[in-house]
Amino acid sequence: MRWLAALMLALGLTTGAQAQVQGVELDAPVVLPSFAFSDENAASFTDADLTGQWTLIMFGFLSCPDVCPFTLGNLEAAVAETGMRVRPDNLPRVVFISVDPARDADYISEYARFFHPDFISVTGARDQIDALVTATDSFYRLMPPDNTGYYEVQHSSAVSVIAPDGTLRAKLQPPFDPGLTAEFLARLQISYRKELSQ
Amino acid sequence: MKRSLLALALSVLPALAAAGDLTVDHPMVPLAPPGSMAHAAFFTITNTGDTPRSLIGVTAPGYHMAHIHRSEEINGVATMQAMHQVDIAPGQSVTFEHGGLHIMLMHPAAPLAEGAEVPLELKFANGETLSVTATVMRMMHGSS
Repeated sequence: MRWLAALMLALGLTTGAQAQVQGVELDAPVVLPSFAFSDENAASFTDADLTGQWTLIMFGFLSCPDVCPFTLGNLEAAVAETGMRVRPDNLPRVVFISVDPARDADYISEYARFFHPDFISVTGARDQIDALVTATDSFYRLMPPDNTGYYEVQHSSAVSVIAPDGTLRAKLQPPFDPGLTAEFLARLQISYRKELSQ
Repeated sequence: MKRSLLALALSVLPALAAAGDLTVDHPMVPLAPPGSMAHAAFFTITNTGDTPRSLIGVTAPGYHMAHIHRSEEINGVATMQAMHQVDIAPGQSVTFEHGGLHIMLMHPAAPLAEGAEVPLELKFANGETLSVTATVMRMMHGSS
């Protein structure tokens, strides 16, 4: 009987620990290349916009019925939760970058704003997308079209966390539980400030 | 609070469709962002009969096309796969939900507001069809 209790405790601890993993801090900051994206109204998002604030970058596409809207919805809730833990000027800005400009470029601006007025969504030239995807160790693939011309897009589910010095610091991972993600981001900011003060 | 409201909303929705031995519960389409070219439909389908049933297709008049899809995350990559058949064993329920099975609805003919109704026709291997009306609802995102 005692071993059963011990087993249940062990299992409980195991699942508890796994549930805490909502992000991974990188061993060393990654410097990002220069890049330029925009929306159909010519509003831009470039590497210069990374400086001075925290940024969360997600790659996706607008023909994504399930994963992309779910992730952005959870990020909205996570940023709201982060607001209870950090100063307002440390709230991360969420940026959605479509890897499917051929289908998305004409409608991109409204997409992320649906989840929060401060979220932005942009896309850009293939070389710009590829440069940032590679630099953030992300992935995407446009699948071969079917006979109607329709194609699927595979993409990394992780979200890149960029510090106010413009370097990649961490990856957020699904399921993006809002409370746990906020906790992870708040701790990341504390360790970032410690590093700066050293 | 939001979660309990959603739970309440779900609990007062009737089982919206039933045909013979098949019941479809809580058919919903998450309210989608502007510019979305694809919507998802979610529901739970239950086979109360004693013979296996297979969902083999779906049509949605409000969309250019509709597919049965499954989302999957493989080594950190989100993928989708078209499903040609979803089996529902006797006495079993299959739930279409985030991160798994969904009906992918491509190219809505018009933007859909919260509360809008989305007619779907589910097609089964035995030739039967089942009409379902999904409701557009705002998805709630809370900590579990």
